Amino acid sequence: MYDVNEINDLTMKTKIAIILFLTVSLPGMAFNLFSSQEQKDPWTPQQLLNPAELAKMLNNTKLPQSYVFSVGPQAVIKGSIDIGPARMKGNLDNLRLQLDKLSKNAQIVIYCGCCPFDRCPNVRPAIELLKNMQFRNYKLLNLPRNIKADWIDPGYPVND
Amino acid sequence: MTRLFLISAVIIFFGNISTGFAQTQRIALGDKAPEIELSDPNGRPVPLSSLKGKLVLIDFWATWCAPCVKEQTELAGLYKKYKRSEFTKGKGFEIYGVSLDAKKSNWETGIHTLNVQWIQVSDLKFWQSPVAKTYNIQELPFNVLIDENGIILAKNLHGAELGKAIAGYLIRK
Repeated sequence: MYDVNEINDLTMKTKIAIILFLTVSLPGMAFNLFSSQEQKDPWTPQQLLNPAELAKMLNNTKLPQSYVFSVGPQAVIKGSIDIGPARMKGNLDNLRLQLDKLSKNAQIVIYCGCCPFDRCPNVRPAIELLKNMQFRNYKLLNLPRNIKADWIDPGYPVND
Repeated sequence: MTRLFLISAVIIFFGNISTGFAQTQRIALGDKAPEIELSDPNGRPVPLSSLKGKLVLIDFWATWCAPCVKEQTELAGLYKKYKRSEFTKGKGFEIYGVSLDAKKSNWETGIHTLNVQWIQVSDLKFWQSPVAKTYNIQELPFNVLIDENGIILAKNLHGAELGKAIAGYLIRK
């Protein structure tokens, strides 16, 4: 025979657990959902390139090399092409000129590294340009914090 | 019950991991701030140690960093208000602006446009600047408040918190 009080106690415990679970985890989920809707990034998650992967390519010249464009304050990554901050029209025009010379199938990597993506004024204009110019194989280097934390500190190759 | 807690803990952990890490505590309160030997826009070296005797805010910024640029007006207010004040931690208040800009023209234009009145130094090496490493800077803006002997009193305070910290050291007469 079940004791009614015991069953009540059990359901009560479950209820408390569920309520606790929801109050603690829901705000975080809602926040994540909100922030991803807020931004409407012009790139897909598949277009984000892991820094370790680019470093591997740069360290092994036998691998097919991508065109790496810096669209931020300075071309830190070894061998990358310095376009300058893409938020400035002159620099974006320069990027267009450089891209005009390439095949639509060219492997292209874009990076800035000034700040986290949500604050970066440079990556969006550059990625939108690539998208509009109908390039097929471009990536955005995934530097979630900045070029120091995500590239220089791990010891990946830099320009001197 | 325990399992539910564990699940929520895991969700919270991974849900927030992307929202940012705290500054690593390598530049600790009570430590002596490492020397910075950089030059001003005229090429004149202005070592941090030359400000000995004053309460000093080391402000790491750059013209490419929007929140940093925005903060310069707030710093101007603090500078004007406290420049000649006497503190328990130093006589007079100075700001030592260290820019992580990459191009001199941008740096100079920024100083000019924002009408920055305090000390400005840079090696124009962007995130490759050795000071970014020495001070373990993870993100801009970043700042460090030091006393008359270069001892770190506070770090990364902004807005009202920064004003309150400085005012806290005022000698009331």
